[in-house]
Amino acid sequence: METVALVERQTIYLPTIGDYKDVPVVEILVKPGDTVSFEDTIIVLESDKATIEVPSPVSGTLVELLVEIGSRVSEGAPIAIFEISEKAPAAPQPEAAASETRPVAAAPAAVEAAAPVTGSAASKAHASPSVRAYARELGVSLDEVQPTGRKGRIMREDVQAYVKGRIAAPASSGGIAVAPAPAYDFARYGEIERVPLTRIQQISGSSLHRNWVTVPHVTNFDEADVTDIESFRVAMNGEAKGARAKLTMVAFLAKASALALKEHPRFNASLEGDTLVLKKYVHVGVAVDTPKGLLVPVVRDCDRKGLNEIAEEIAGLAERARNGKLAPSDMEGGCFSVSSLGGVGGTGFTPIINAPEVAILGAARAQMQPRWDGTAFQPRLILPVSLSWDHRVLDGVAAARFLGTVVKILGDFRRAAL
Amino acid sequence: MNTEIMELVVIGGGPGGYSAAFRAADLGMQVALIEREETLGGVCLNVGCIPSKALLHVAAAKEEAERLSKHGIRFGAAELDLDALRAFRHDTVSRLTGGLAQMARQRKVQRIIGNARFAGPNVLHVEDRAGNVSAVSFQMCIIAAGSSPIHLPFLPDDPRIVDSTGALELPFIPKRMLVIGGGIIGLEMATVYSGLGARIDVVEQTGGLLAGVDRDMVGIWIKRNSHRFDRIMLSTWLESVEATPEGLVARFNNGYEPATHDLILQAAGRRPNGDRLSLEAAGLQSNGGFIAVDSQMRTAQPNIFAIGDVVGQPMLAHKAVHQGHVAAEVAAGHRAVFEPLVIPSVAYVDPEIAWVGLTEDAARQDGIEVDVGKFPWAASGRAIANGADYGMTKLLFSRETGRLLGGAMIGPGAGDMLGEICLAIELGADATDIGRTIHPHPTLGETIGLAAEAAMGSCTDLPPIPFLCPRQ
Repeated sequence: METVALVERQTIYLPTIGDYKDVPVVEILVKPGDTVSFEDTIIVLESDKATIEVPSPVSGTLVELLVEIGSRVSEGAPIAIFEISEKAPAAPQPEAAASETRPVAAAPAAVEAAAPVTGSAASKAHASPSVRAYARELGVSLDEVQPTGRKGRIMREDVQAYVKGRIAAPASSGGIAVAPAPAYDFARYGEIERVPLTRIQQISGSSLHRNWVTVPHVTNFDEADVTDIESFRVAMNGEAKGARAKLTMVAFLAKASALALKEHPRFNASLEGDTLVLKKYVHVGVAVDTPKGLLVPVVRDCDRKGLNEIAEEIAGLAERARNGKLAPSDMEGGCFSVSSLGGVGGTGFTPIINAPEVAILGAARAQMQPRWDGTAFQPRLILPVSLSWDHRVLDGVAAARFLGTVVKILGDFRRAAL
Repeated sequence: MNTEIMELVVIGGGPGGYSAAFRAADLGMQVALIEREETLGGVCLNVGCIPSKALLHVAAAKEEAERLSKHGIRFGAAELDLDALRAFRHDTVSRLTGGLAQMARQRKVQRIIGNARFAGPNVLHVEDRAGNVSAVSFQMCIIAAGSSPIHLPFLPDDPRIVDSTGALELPFIPKRMLVIGGGIIGLEMATVYSGLGARIDVVEQTGGLLAGVDRDMVGIWIKRNSHRFDRIMLSTWLESVEATPEGLVARFNNGYEPATHDLILQAAGRRPNGDRLSLEAAGLQSNGGFIAVDSQMRTAQPNIFAIGDVVGQPMLAHKAVHQGHVAAEVAAGHRAVFEPLVIPSVAYVDPEIAWVGLTEDAARQDGIEVDVGKFPWAASGRAIANGADYGMTKLLFSRETGRLLGGAMIGPGAGDMLGEICLAIELGADATDIGRTIHPHPTLGETIGLAAEAAMGSCTDLPPIPFLCPRQ
């Protein structure tokens, strides 16, 4: 990269956006001729679950945009060409900034390795006549085979690996055969309107469907006496007078779940074939309802955080979720999820496990109910809770114990301090 | 007469047909091979590639002997014994056809001599020389009926007007000869007759000789061959030919003067023989004699295959052989497919021109970005020692993938060396693969490795290229 002219043109590339690939550009905030400062948002992407604002890595004048609305981009894709004046305060900035925007060394290794799998790279791969004949013999289309040979050549072993993969595939992807759904002419029966699902709904829908079909769900139910928590919560919020985020029931549920996960480590796990991956960290996802669909941002290290901190974080995440500003990393790494319908209503429901997690806690609406204390009925605030769990990893006894732990902590939150 | 139902019947005993029949027999099928001539080998062996090569070899040796006078050895004037030359041609052919007949016997391929026509989707009628028709029933059939020279309808019926078959008979050595068609066959026969003493006129409808070959190669050839020709009439139509006792008077458009010739060769192309087979009886159709097939060489009838000239261009024996093998293997229940990347071509003229895959002209036309490595034989010690410093080797590499896409050579033995380029393309070699393969020195084949080095910019047998930049 030479610096010959006073004004230098520089192409900027899409910085790392996590594991997302082929993300559509939904908004472009600049046009050629605009003066853009470092960190100004230039384009907006809508990934699987969130909107990603892409900041400018440089200060300068936009010469040309290399993307348009609807373009699908991945990390490292050229986005725009800027003209950078040498008079800019930090002269060497362009180069430094440029390298910053390139794929970062650590994270994208997997992305780079995975990249050749798809796209035109595979169909351009070369196979020698003997490999072509061998593929024909086995009925393999070479376009679908991933080459591993030097210079992108398809080797005989690659054809074998492809066939082995295809033979193994049906066993793991399941043999569920159902009749195709019939088409209905709804308009015959009255007026209708067609509303496309949002991208978030489409993507979460397919994950939910996959999890529902592939994970053997069982749901346990219990009731927690949250009378004391509720009065404590109201008192604390009164004291704070808005100085900090309100303590919510969800914060208590997240904290109680985190402590239960510490006590029952098999619930803080993921299934990898025949191996259980036990996690030494406790990150709890919290389902957030947004106008565009359901999102599950994650509160990290819930076991080590105080209620105020957790409540603050949940408030921030929920706010960003509703505004479509969650970063993909905000939704990664969850160990367990909490879904609360307490603000809406209901007496109980069976949540779908957010795989690869193995359990999820659902909470319905707390209601004042009479409870027998041994001598008389007392009015107590009772919260119905449910726990859906993966029967491949857990069993009914373990589930009853886990849910019991949650209920006990909620019933007497002093346990959380133990 | 023949009530037996053959497992496989092959129509045509040319290179494609006999290869299909032999391959099928080797795979355990019961095979009959129908050929109208007494000998196997078809046009290629009997009246095409092989006899023409025998004559070209003799003509080239004679011209080489004459050229040697400049290099210190003088022979006397050449004496032509036409009968002995015909005998050499005949011996070459009969040795090969005899070998084929023996191999057919060893494989228990049943030979039927006669003209075949379909009488139904599973039966052929074969008419022998005496006019007797017999029925041959089959489960499967491979059509390898080949092609025939195109005869221009306006030419008079005169023994002095011949096609390639007639020219190979060497009826006599004309003083002045007209070749109609500037393609491979026309120029090969022009080379033979010129070598034996004839002066040649060529008339060609298109704007250049040897269509499909890069112009730089053709340019070298024309430079080396201008002495053979009185006129090379390009973009010119032959308007009429009048037979007179003194000779054949040919008239042309494009302002060329009429001329009288002793012999006229029609080499205006070949026409596929699909129309001679009563295809409709088998539920098949032809398109101008061509029969449509899929990549397994199957026609619209799943039990009938077609291969070779009758399925399309290029009409080359080596293509037919490979297609014949595929058809035989598929007929025998194997999963074969005809899917070569390239089919090579050779013009056995002097100097020989051989090319395969993408040409520079085609790359330019289709906007394919290539890196070209050229090695002029003027920089090859062996070529200079052999008096072949005019030759050229050229390789075309994809700028996108680096792989070899095509190559061309002109010079003695170019066709014999082309196989390396074909193999490199089929194996997906790039310039480094070829350039770093050690080629024996000093040879003409070495120029292939050197052309690859030229493409890489690492050739030390060429002057430095000051503006050759490493790729960004």
